Amino acid sequence: MGAIYALVALGFVTISRASQIINFAQGEFVMLGGVATFFLLNGVRLPYPLAALIAVMIVVLVGFAMYLSVLYPLRKASILILIMATLGISIFLSSTSGLIFGTLPKALPPFTDEQPLMFWGISMLPQSVWVLVSTLVLLTFLYLLSHRTLLGKAMEASSTDPLGADLLGISRSLMVFLAFGVSAGVGAFAGILITPIFFTSYNSGTLLGLKGFIAAVLGGWGKNSGAILGGFVLGIVESLSLAFIPSGYKDAVAFVILLLILYFRPKGILGSPFIDSRRW
Amino acid sequence: MSSQPAKGAQKEFRKRDLFYLVPLWVLSLIAPDPYLYHKKEFKRKDLYYLGAIGLAPLTWSDPHFHHVMVLAGIYAILALGLSLFMGYAGQISLGHAAFFGIGAYTTAILTTRHGFSPFVALWASVLSASAVAYLIGRPILKLKGYFLALATLGFGEIFLVMVRESTDLTGGVIGIFGIPWFSVAGFSFDTYLKQYYLIWGVVAGLFIFSKNLVRSKLGRALLAVAASEDAASSVGINVPRIKLEIFVLGAAFAGLAGSLFACIMSTANPETFGLGVTVPIVMMVILGGMGTIYGPVAGAILLTWLMDILSRYQEYSLPIYSIILILLLIFFPDGIGTRLNVRILYLIGYWAKKRKRDEGKL
Amino acid sequence: MSLLSIEQLTKEYDGIRALDRVSLKVEGGSIKGLIGPNGAGKSTLFHLISGVEKPDSGKILFKKRDITNMESHERSALGIGRTFQTVQVWGNMTVVENVMAGMHRRLKGSLFSYGLWLPWIRTSEKEALKEAKEILNSLGLLGKWESTASQLPYGKQKLLELGRALAMKPQLLLLDEPASGLTLSEIEQLSERISEMRQKGVTVFIVEHHMGMVMEVADEIAVLHNGELIAEGKPENVRRNSVVMEAYLTRGSAGK
Ligand SMILES: Nc1ncnc2c1ncn2[C@@H]1O[C@H](COP(=O)(O)OP(=O)(O)OP(=O)(O)O)[C@@H](O)[C@H]1O
Ligand SMILES: [Mg+2]
Repeated sequence: MGAIYALVALGFVTISRASQIINFAQGEFVMLGGVATFFLLNGVRLPYPLAALIAVMIVVLVGFAMYLSVLYPLRKASILILIMATLGISIFLSSTSGLIFGTLPKALPPFTDEQPLMFWGISMLPQSVWVLVSTLVLLTFLYLLSHRTLLGKAMEASSTDPLGADLLGISRSLMVFLAFGVSAGVGAFAGILITPIFFTSYNSGTLLGLKGFIAAVLGGWGKNSGAILGGFVLGIVESLSLAFIPSGYKDAVAFVILLLILYFRPKGILGSPFIDSRRW
Repeated sequence: MSSQPAKGAQKEFRKRDLFYLVPLWVLSLIAPDPYLYHKKEFKRKDLYYLGAIGLAPLTWSDPHFHHVMVLAGIYAILALGLSLFMGYAGQISLGHAAFFGIGAYTTAILTTRHGFSPFVALWASVLSASAVAYLIGRPILKLKGYFLALATLGFGEIFLVMVRESTDLTGGVIGIFGIPWFSVAGFSFDTYLKQYYLIWGVVAGLFIFSKNLVRSKLGRALLAVAASEDAASSVGINVPRIKLEIFVLGAAFAGLAGSLFACIMSTANPETFGLGVTVPIVMMVILGGMGTIYGPVAGAILLTWLMDILSRYQEYSLPIYSIILILLLIFFPDGIGTRLNVRILYLIGYWAKKRKRDEGKL
Repeated sequence: MSLLSIEQLTKEYDGIRALDRVSLKVEGGSIKGLIGPNGAGKSTLFHLISGVEKPDSGKILFKKRDITNMESHERSALGIGRTFQTVQVWGNMTVVENVMAGMHRRLKGSLFSYGLWLPWIRTSEKEALKEAKEILNSLGLLGKWESTASQLPYGKQKLLELGRALAMKPQLLLLDEPASGLTLSEIEQLSERISEMRQKGVTVFIVEHHMGMVMEVADEIAVLHNGELIAEGKPENVRRNSVVMEAYLTRGSAGK
């Protein structure tokens, strides 16, 4: 679970690094990834890898479309308007996918067979291993993308220093556009990874998105490493908490953590380049 | 010229502006001028509104109309409180629905389990919502922007989880049924018409209260906090405290609305107090125009009707609804009335200048 | 006893010493000037006095009370008013409302008394409006009292900010570069207002790059350079001080 939070958190960070927008529809990408793969697999009867690939592509397109149709026209709007617009998109995506793909929860088959594997005496489901490994691969990829390529640098520049970026001829809108694509892709991927373990239904995206955001804040807002750490910490704390409180309250744990962290250390565990302590 | 086009108005004249004229004129009658903040005294216009609200159900005796307007009135109370916090003090709250819920559940529990009268329960609801707001507001309100939004949203979610899980107290997902009609001193509000007058009477009262607030020292302090906190504290405004006060007041409004809502629907269940309420009330505040008192009320009526019309399309209603909301946000990010008012101010300025120019030439 | 006294005040920003053990006093009823090259730490000193920022070490005494750890709004309640280097008028309000908001502390009443618009609130609001108009009149802004503050030109906004600070009836007024961006005639008007304050018993502490003006209005001048106090005294003495001349000549290194 932690890995999934980490991926969702990364999606948030990717967009906010390019634009200062926080995309409250991030969780819907995850949901769409899972649900679309399910549909392609069982409705269209494509082979698994192909279904997954197409699903990711669809979601990336949705991410692009979302930016072009809503966020580009609103690029000068206030924070509140952006929040409401992305929330609106979130409602739109979840209700539309409920309409198209049905409202029943969906589960994908695991990638490989279900015999638990033993590592040093800990038994793990193969799917969990898949999740961890793919997450690591994806994280490495994203890390390289944002820190080692010109594109990543350009994205960062357009957020932290819009004017300077303009002077260098970096198109801000293009960067944000690409960031939306990347974060939609990451989200969809997370959705495909998670659906074999947990059920995904049309309305599960919102909560997942919020928890991803919490993870990003927890680790240190605006940092990739923070997002990953926050994701795993949140996942672990959540599952540990099950030992102490009834399972129904599990969803509240993340928000309690959020309130605590915002109160005591808004910078997050690793510190955040965007938040100076005094102004909070 | 005294009527300069406000910031953001386009520089040159467009033919298209002529098409704005009729709706503009109608709206200028309804919407107060956003650029004359100090003109906040009550005017004759307010009496007309009051009259219209009072007479509407008599000329239009369809019970469905009454019911929708009752809901609109409840939303208007919520939006009024939120507008003080968001529109004036410039803060963000996405957790307002929780206070609405706290109000509703307080009333539900007190009336059905402990046999209190709805009138007593109403005050208890207001108190409990304010108390929770006070406790939660102290730590949360030092946050800003996205983090404030997230924290308030988080609070709302925690509230929902608690309601769903503490089955003994709240009835869990099923909720509580059989809440009695609202009644005062033996007079029971048991028809839609009576409820209409009850709710809109409350709206009118709270409207006057809010309007008094915003035209006074407090309104100025709120606007000051929104524009620059440093400057606000430099003239002695206690920024954290005034934010807290207004947050608690907003919560009290919401608690009141929640209590009335519970009595009118006669049930309370967690479905009604999540993002499904937060999104529309925040939209009402935005569409009505931030920093106005009429705005949220007008926005509440507008959006409630929209939701009512859309609910006929069943499963298509949510997608259509969200598209409409997004479109409204794109085209009227600073409120429907405000945007049109900017055009009107601009047109007046344009014509005045043109007249002057023409006279100059003659 | 001086009205304001600052003892060994130090403030660092990420390793940059914006202020280094600065001590100075401002006498009640006087006008004190503070000058120094760009980045000398003048605005920082004002932020510390008004409570926008907190010092790393040192003490601030106002009317013999230690205000070092007080919140900004409590300090203004004690009688410290200020303006900002970059104007901070409230653009979402009208001009007259800006001034009336400056009276915040002096208008009493709880949230409920305002919401119910009790009779005495009505009178106090009316008086506040009248007084605000008088202040605007004295600053030559009365003609614009109804327009939105953000629509005023920059110079007028600075005057409005001064008006807002005056509305507080402060005992100590901190002015951060009030003359920058003003036209010559506006500067003259400003100097007049400032000199008038002495008669009203308001103590003024003023940061200014416009030398002619500070030298003219101030009774005493302090000079900051790289966060350190390098000179203090009568305007004519400071003008002739060699250390000060040097600081201004080598100002290229001042910004670091
Ligand atoms: N918030 C801040 N964060 C980091 N450094 C700061 C901050 N505020 C001021 N500084 C630094 O502190 C030093 C003093 O700044 P200050 O604004 O007090 O100078 P000043 O004397 O007012 O200059 P000017 O004449 O340009 O207004 C400068 O080197 C500045 O870069
Ligand atoms: Mg300065």
